[in-house]
Amino acid sequence: MKIDTGDTAWLLFSICLVMLMTPGLGLFYAGMARRKNVLGTIMHSFTLLCVVSLIWIIWGYTIAFGPDKGGVIGSLEWFGLKGVGQEPGRYSSTIPHIGFMLFQGMFAVITPALIAGAFAERIKFSAFLLFAVLWVTFVYSPLAHWVWGGGWIGSVLGALDFAGGTVVHISSGIAGLISAYVIGSRKGHGIQPMPPHNRTLTVTGAALLWFGWFGFNAGSALSSGGIAASALVNTNTSASAATLSWILIEWMHRGKPTIIGAVSGSIAGLVAITPASGYVGPISAIIIGTVAAAFCYAAVMLKPRFGYDDSFDVFAIHAVGGTWGALATGLFASTAVNPAGLDGLFFGNPPLIGIQAIAIVVTYIYVSVYSFIILKIVDLIIGLRVDEESELIGLDYTQHRESGYNIKLG
Amino acid sequence: MKKKRGIFGVVLFIFIFLQLNIVFAEEPKAGAPAKQEATASAQASAAPAHAPKNDAGDTAWMLISTALVMLMTPGLALFYGGMVRRKNVLGTIMQSFIILALISVQWVLWGYTLAFGPDKGGIIGSLAWFGLNGVGTDPNPDYAATIPHQAFMIFQMMFAVITPALITGAFAERVKFSTFIVFTLLWATLVYDPIAHWVWGLSGGKGWLNNLGALDFAGGTVVHISSGISALAAALIIGKRKGYGTESMPPHNVPMVVLGAALLWFGWFGFNAGSALSSGGLAASAFVVTNTACAAAAFTWAVVEWMHRGKPTVLGAVSGAVAGLVAITPAAGFVSPMSSILIGIMGGVVCYFSVSVIKGKLGYDDSLDAFGIHGVGGTLGALATGLFASKLVNPAGNDGLFFGNPSLLVNQVIAVVATAVYAFVVTAILLKVLDATMGLRVSKEDEVTGLDLSQHGESGYNF
Repeated sequence: MKIDTGDTAWLLFSICLVMLMTPGLGLFYAGMARRKNVLGTIMHSFTLLCVVSLIWIIWGYTIAFGPDKGGVIGSLEWFGLKGVGQEPGRYSSTIPHIGFMLFQGMFAVITPALIAGAFAERIKFSAFLLFAVLWVTFVYSPLAHWVWGGGWIGSVLGALDFAGGTVVHISSGIAGLISAYVIGSRKGHGIQPMPPHNRTLTVTGAALLWFGWFGFNAGSALSSGGIAASALVNTNTSASAATLSWILIEWMHRGKPTIIGAVSGSIAGLVAITPASGYVGPISAIIIGTVAAAFCYAAVMLKPRFGYDDSFDVFAIHAVGGTWGALATGLFASTAVNPAGLDGLFFGNPPLIGIQAIAIVVTYIYVSVYSFIILKIVDLIIGLRVDEESELIGLDYTQHRESGYNIKLG
Repeated sequence: MKKKRGIFGVVLFIFIFLQLNIVFAEEPKAGAPAKQEATASAQASAAPAHAPKNDAGDTAWMLISTALVMLMTPGLALFYGGMVRRKNVLGTIMQSFIILALISVQWVLWGYTLAFGPDKGGIIGSLAWFGLNGVGTDPNPDYAATIPHQAFMIFQMMFAVITPALITGAFAERVKFSTFIVFTLLWATLVYDPIAHWVWGLSGGKGWLNNLGALDFAGGTVVHISSGISALAAALIIGKRKGYGTESMPPHNVPMVVLGAALLWFGWFGFNAGSALSSGGLAASAFVVTNTACAAAAFTWAVVEWMHRGKPTVLGAVSGAVAGLVAITPAAGFVSPMSSILIGIMGGVVCYFSVSVIKGKLGYDDSLDAFGIHGVGGTLGALATGLFASKLVNPAGNDGLFFGNPSLLVNQVIAVVATAVYAFVVTAILLKVLDATMGLRVSKEDEVTGLDLSQHGESGYNF
C-alpha cells in the first residue's frame, strides 16, 4: 500500500481528461440545437459539472463506494469524504484514495449530462437541476455501487464493466428514453426541420470527447501499465472503426457521408468499447466498433417510427451502443489480455454472456422505474417543461436572459 | 451514376478487405500467448536481471503524449477549417477527422508493421506484426524498454494520422471526398510507412537513413518534409481553385483558426517531448525547446509582417507559431534552449517569405500553405539539426556543424533530399493514377456550391 508516482500521475491526468468531456459534451449537444437554445444546452452540461462535483463529495461518493451494506448500497460512513484521504484506499493500492474519488466523480458528472440531450430545447432550468440532483442520488450512485462499489452485480454476479457500459451509458440512455416520453416532443417536432445550428461546434465537442475518453477508459485501469495502454489502443481503434463504418453505411443508404454521421459513429464506437476496453484485444475492438455503428445507425433511423423526440439520440447512441458493448464484453473478453477479467463466449466461456445480459436487464428495469418516478415528482413540484411561448422564443432568452451570438452571418 | 458505383465498389472492397484481415489476423492470435510464454521463459533462463519492465512514470507520460498528439488532428481540422470559405468549412474539417479514423485502423492492421516491423533490407518492415500480432503489453526493447509495446505503437499511430491530414491544406476546397479517401489510404501505405521505417525503424536492423546517422527526433523528415513536399505535388497536379488570384478568399472564421492553432501548440508538447519515449530530463529539454522555438517564431513572424506589410495579423502570429513548431520538431531532443530561439527566428522569417512572397511569384495554389510551412519549415529544421545538435544535450545524439562535426549536416542533407524526392515522385504518381481513374476534383458547379453541400449534404452554420 504505497503511492506510486507514475500511477498517480496517470490518474490525475485522466481526471483532467474526463473533466474536459463534460464541457466537450456541452459543445457537442449545443451545436445540434437551434441557435436560440445554444446557451441553454451548454448550460446543462456546465452546471452539472459544478452541482454533481459537490454532491459527490458530500454524499454521492459514500453511497456509491462507501462500505457495502448487503450488496445494495454504500453506507454513509464516508459522508463529506470523512476518512477519504491521501493514502491508498480499498479500490486501488498505488494511488491516493482521494484521487480515485475524484476520478469517479467525473463519471458521475458526465452521466446525467448525457441524459440532457434527450430533453434538450424544452426543459425548465430549475426542473432540470432538481432532476439531476435526485437522479445522481437515487439512480447513478446505487448503480455504481452495484457494479463497482462491492455491490451485487460486480461482486456476486461477476459481470464485467471496465469503464461504465452499464453504469454510465445504459443508465443515461435509458433515462434519456424515459424522459423523452415523459416530457413529450418539442413543439413542431416532425413537422418543421430542426437542423443543427453549428456543426463545427458539434465536431469540436466530439473531438474533446474522443480525447477525454482516453482518460475515461485507459484511466479506469487505475494504474499506468499494460492494461492502460491496451485500453487506450482499444478505445481509439473502436472509435475509428465505428466512424468509418457509420459513414460507409450512410453513404450507401442515403447517398452522402455527413460530418454529423462521422461524429455520431465516433461516439457510438467509444460507447461500445467502454465496458470492454480493458478486457479485449485490438482486433476485437475493430469488430466491436464496426458493429456498434451499424446498430446505432439503425436505432437512429428507426426513431421516427416510434414517435418519441429524443432530441440528440441519447437512447440510440448510449443505450444501444452501451448494450452492445456490454454484450460484446461477454463475447470478446479474454484473460490473455487481462488476467483479472474473464473469458468470453469466443474464448470458451459461455456463461459470461448470460451474466452480462442479466446486468443489462437489471439496469434497464431499475433505471426506467426510478427515472420515471423522479420525473413525475419533479413535474408535480416544479413542472418539467417551459411554457409554449418560452419554447418558441428559446431557452437562451427565457431561461438565462442571454443570446449565444451577437453576429449576423450573411 | 456509373462512376458513383465504381467509388462504392472501391470503398466496399477496402471494407471487405479489412474484414478479411480481421479473420486472418485473429487466427494466429490464439497461438500467441504460448509463443510469448516460450520467449519469456527463454529470457528468464538467459538473463533474468535485464528483462525489460514497464515503468509507471514513463508509461504515464507516453499515454498522455498519445492523447495530446491525437488532439492535434482535430486541432488541425479547426486550424484549416477556419481558413477556408464558409461553404467549405465542413468539407475541410471532415478530411482531418476521417483521416483520424481511417489511418488508426490502417495502422493497427498493416501500417505499424510496415513502418516498425522487423526490418527488410533497411527499406521496409516485414508483415510479421500484421494486425498487431505479437504487439502486446510487454516492452519492445528495440524501441523503448520501459513502456508497453502497444503504447509505443499507438503513440506512433498518431504521427501517421496527422501527416496525411497536413497535406489536405494544399488541396482544400476542391477535392472529391471519395478520391481523397483512397489517396490517403494509399499515401499512408506507400509513402508514410516506408519513410517512417527508413528514419525510425530499429527492429532486427536499422532503416537506411537511421543507419546513415541522420537525426530526426520527432518527425522533421518523416512528418513535415514528407507531407509538405507531397502537398506541393498535390497543389501542382490538382491545380488552382476556381477564381484563385482574381477574387479574394479570406478565412471565414479566424477565431476558429486560433483555437486550432492553440490545440496544435498544446498537442505538440506530446509530439516532441513524448518522442523521448520516457519521462525524464530529455523529455523536459524537448518540452522547453518546443515552447521556446514556437514562441520565438510566432513573435518573429508578426514583427516581419509588421515591417513588410504594415500590420501584425492574428493569422500571421498563429502561422508563425506553427512554423516554429515545425522547425524545432527534428531538433527538439538534440539542441539547447538558446539554439531553439535561433531555430524559431529562422523558421519565422523563412516561412513568412516562402508563404507571402515566393508562393505568389511561383503561382501554385497551396491553399492553406501546407508546403510553405511544413515543407519549408521541416527542411529548415532538419538542416538546423545538422548545425545545432549537441551531445551535451543528448549523449545519444550527435554533434552538429557548430559543435565541430560537419558530417552530420551532410547526412541531414541526404535525408532531406531522399525524403523529398521519394515523397514527391510517389505522390505525383498516385495523384495521376487517381485522376485518370476516379477524378481528383469536384465538378466546377460543385466547387462553386462548396464542398459542404456537394460532398456531404450539410452546411456548417444555420443561423
